[in-house]
Amino acid sequence: MSAAILRLHEVTYRYPAAPRDAVAGVSLTVRPGEFHAVLGPNGSGKTTLVRLALGALAPAAGAVEVVERSARAWRPRDLARVVGVVPQREDNLFPQRVRETVLLGRYPHLSLWGAERPEDHAAVERALAACDAAHLARRWLWTLSGGEYQRVRVARALAQEPRLLVLDEPGVSLDLRHEMELFELVRGLADRSRLGIVMITHHVNLAARYADSVLLLAEGRPAGAGAPANVLTRETIERVFSWPVAIQVLDGRPQMIPLRQSKEEPA
Amino acid sequence: MRRLLLVALLCVACRPATDRAAAPAGPITVADAAGRAVALAAPARRVVSLLPSFTELLFAMGAGDRVVGRTAWCDYPPAALAVPSVGDGMPPNVEAVAARRPDLVLLYHSGANVTAAEQLAGLGIPAVLLRLDRLEDLGPAARVIGRLTGRVAQAESLAAAMDTLAATKPPTPSPQSLVFIVWDNPPIVIGHGSYLDRLAALAGARNVFADVAAPSAQVSLETIAARDPDWVAVLSDSAAPPAFAARREWRAVRAVREGRFLNLPGSLFGRPGPRSGAAVRQLRARLEAAP
Amino acid sequence: MRWAALGAAAALALLASVTLGPAGIPLGELTQSDIVWNLRAPRAILAFLVGGSLGVAGAGLQALVRNPLADPFLLGLSGGAGLGAVVALATHLSGPWALPLAAFAGALGALALVYRMGLVAGAALDPRILLLGGVAVGAFAAAITTAIVSLADAAELRNAFLWLWGGLSAASWDTVLVLALYAPLPLVVLFAAARPLDLLALGEEPARYLGADVERVKRRVYIAASLLTAAAVAVSGVIGFVGLVVPHIARLTWGHRHRALLPAAFIGGGALLVLADTLARTVVAPRELPVGVVTALVGVPVFALLLRRWTIA
Repeated sequence: MSAAILRLHEVTYRYPAAPRDAVAGVSLTVRPGEFHAVLGPNGSGKTTLVRLALGALAPAAGAVEVVERSARAWRPRDLARVVGVVPQREDNLFPQRVRETVLLGRYPHLSLWGAERPEDHAAVERALAACDAAHLARRWLWTLSGGEYQRVRVARALAQEPRLLVLDEPGVSLDLRHEMELFELVRGLADRSRLGIVMITHHVNLAARYADSVLLLAEGRPAGAGAPANVLTRETIERVFSWPVAIQVLDGRPQMIPLRQSKEEPA
Repeated sequence: MRRLLLVALLCVACRPATDRAAAPAGPITVADAAGRAVALAAPARRVVSLLPSFTELLFAMGAGDRVVGRTAWCDYPPAALAVPSVGDGMPPNVEAVAARRPDLVLLYHSGANVTAAEQLAGLGIPAVLLRLDRLEDLGPAARVIGRLTGRVAQAESLAAAMDTLAATKPPTPSPQSLVFIVWDNPPIVIGHGSYLDRLAALAGARNVFADVAAPSAQVSLETIAARDPDWVAVLSDSAAPPAFAARREWRAVRAVREGRFLNLPGSLFGRPGPRSGAAVRQLRARLEAAP
Repeated sequence: MRWAALGAAAALALLASVTLGPAGIPLGELTQSDIVWNLRAPRAILAFLVGGSLGVAGAGLQALVRNPLADPFLLGLSGGAGLGAVVALATHLSGPWALPLAAFAGALGALALVYRMGLVAGAALDPRILLLGGVAVGAFAAAITTAIVSLADAAELRNAFLWLWGGLSAASWDTVLVLALYAPLPLVVLFAAARPLDLLALGEEPARYLGADVERVKRRVYIAASLLTAAAVAVSGVIGFVGLVVPHIARLTWGHRHRALLPAAFIGGGALLVLADTLARTVVAPRELPVGVVTALVGVPVFALLLRRWTIA
C-alpha cells in the first residue's frame, strides 16, 4: 500500500470563543488514487477540516500530516506543490483570461525573480486538457458559464501539479450536466493521474456513486467513515440529517431518496 | 470735602493744554475703510488697538495713555508692553476686547475683521476699520486716529511726515539689487507694490522681483539664482544667517554663498508705521556701508 | 514596444526638465551652467525618484487593500509628517535637515500607529482596517497640528502648511543621494511581492492555497509602501494624484500582472512628476505653481484619454 498523502488522526479543534468543538476526534487517511467525499449538514465542520488538513489551523488535539510531515511545518509555497485546493469562493477583482488565471497555479514552482519557463506553460496546457478546457484558453473569465468556470478553477489547481486535490463544495450552483461532468472529471483524475481527492459536497448521492470512501460528519464528530454502502444507511442518514429517507441501490451504491414529511403523520 | 475739591481742581488744571485746545466739541463721525459710518460722542479715552502699526501711531501722537488693549504682536514702543494683551488678533477675540471696556476699537481692514467689527458694534462698542497696506495709507490712517482721539494736531504732523515719505521719488536705483525671502521651502519672495518693496526702492535698492505684480509669490530657486541679487533680505531679529543658508541647493545663489544677508528686524521693517522713515534710512545706510 | 515608448517618454521628460526653466539658459551653455548642474539636474532626478516611489507605493497599496481608490496618502502618513514638521518648527529645531527628518519621524509614528490598529487576531493585518485607521490617524494628527499652529506665537508656524503643500524646491544632490540610498530596499521588497499580489486578487484564502505566505506579504507590502510614501512626504510634501492614478494609467496598457505593472508604475510615475514639475516651473514664470496642482491638471486628461480608448476597444 502506497504511503498516505494526507493523514488526519483524531483531530480536534474549537474556534476561539465558540461553545463547542468545530471538529472532534476526526480521522481521515488519503492515499494516491483514492476519492474521499466529506459529507454532513451545514455547520458539521467540513470546511474546518479542510483548513486543519492544510495547516491553516492548528489542532487542539490529534495530528495532521501531509506526506508524513506535520501540516503546520510546511511552508505555504512547498505545500502548494503537493496540495491543490479549489476553495468555495474566490474574488474576481479584474478581468483575466483563462490561460492567465490557470498560470497563477504555477506560482509555487516559479523562482522569485525568474520568468515563466516552457515547462510552466506546458503544465498549464496539460491542466487545461485534463479538464477539457483547452478550447477556453483565450476566453475572458467573465464570459464563461458556471460549469466552465469551475473546470478552469480545477485546471488552476492541477497546474500546481499536486498529489492531492481538495475541493470545497465545487458543485454548488452548477446545473445537472455540469455537476455530473465535474464528478466525472474528478473521478478520472483519481483513476488516471493517481491523484488523491478530498471533496466536500452536499450531494450525497453523487458522492455515494463516485467516491471510494465517505466521511460523514455530524456536529464535528465522525458519524461514519468507509465505503459508501457501509456508511450511508437509512438510520445513519436520518439521524445525521434529521429527515426521513428511503435507500435504493444503484450500481452497488446506496442512493438516498428524501421522503415527504406531513405534519399530521408521525415521522 | 474741601481737600477733594482742591484735588479735582488740580486735576482739571493739569490736563494738557493742547488737548483742551484741540479737542473739537460735539460728536466725531468718520467713514471707515469698509464704508461704515462710526460716530463718537467725544474723543476716545479707552482705545483697543488690534494692529501693531495702530499701536505705534497712537503712542507716537501722544495718545498712548489711552490704549487699554493691544494685540500680542504689538511690541513697540516698549511702553506698549505694559498694556494688557487681548490675544493675537487673528481673528480678534471679541470677548477679550469687550472685557477692556473700550470706547473705540481700531481694526485692520480685512474680511474677518469686518465680522468682528459688526459684533463689537452690536455690543455698543464703536469699531473702526482702517486700511494699512501701503506707505500711502499711513497718512490718512494717522489723521483718522487723530480725530478719533482728539489729537488732531499731533496726528497732522505725523501724517505730513509720512505723506512726504510716501511722495518721495525713489533715488536713482543704486546698482545694488536684493531679493526679499519670506519663506524658503517653497521659496516665497516679495514682489512689486508691497510695503517692503517700497522701502527697498526708497532706500535705493532694486528688488529683482519687481516684475512680479503680486505682493508675495512662490518662485523657483533657479530664478533667484539666475537673477543674481547682491543681497538676500530676510525679516529676522537675530544677526545669524537664516537656516536655509546651510542647505546645499541655496548655495546656487551667489549672495547666499557669499553670506550677503540683510537681517531686518521684524518690528521695524515688517509693518508700515511712524518709523518707516527710520527704516528707509537704516536700510540705505546698510547698503552704502557694504560694497 | 510599449516599454520602449515608456522609456522614451521618461527620457524626454528628464531632458525637458533639465533644458527648460524660468532661468532661460541657452542650449549651448547648459553643460557649463551652475544652475543646471546644481539645481535642475538634482531636481529632475528627485522628481523621478519621488514620482516613481509614489506610483509603485500606490499600485502595491491598491493590490493590498483590494481597492482601486486607495492612495498612499490615505495611510495617515501626510498627517503625521505635517505634525512632525510643525513640532520641529515650534521647538526651533535647528539644522538644514531638521524639517525633513522631523517630518519623516512623524510619518513613521503614524505608520506604527496605523499598523497597530490594523493588527487583528494577534498577527494578521486586516487591510480594510488599515485604510480606516489611516484616515483616522491622519485626521487626528492634522487636528493636533492645527491646534499647535493656532495656539503658538510664531508666524512661521503658519508657513509650515506651505511646506506640506510644497513641492520639489528643496532638491539638491544631498537629497537625491539620501533618497537614492534609501528607496531601493522598499522598492525591491515591493517588486518581489509582484506575484503574490497577483494571487491576492483572488482572495486571501485562495492566495494562501496557491502558495503565497499571505501574512508576510501583507506586512511587507504595507511597510514598504509606507516607507516609500513617508520618504516622499518628508522630502517633497504632499503631492497628490500620482499614487492614485498612475497605477490605473499603467493598468490600461500593461494589465494587472504586477511583474509588469510595478515597474511600469515606477517609470510612469517618475516621468509624470518630472513633466509636472517642469510645467510648474515654466508655465507662470517667474512664479511657480505648486506641483500637486499640475499633477492633477496633467494627469486627469491623460487618464481620461486612455480610459476612452479602453472602453471603445
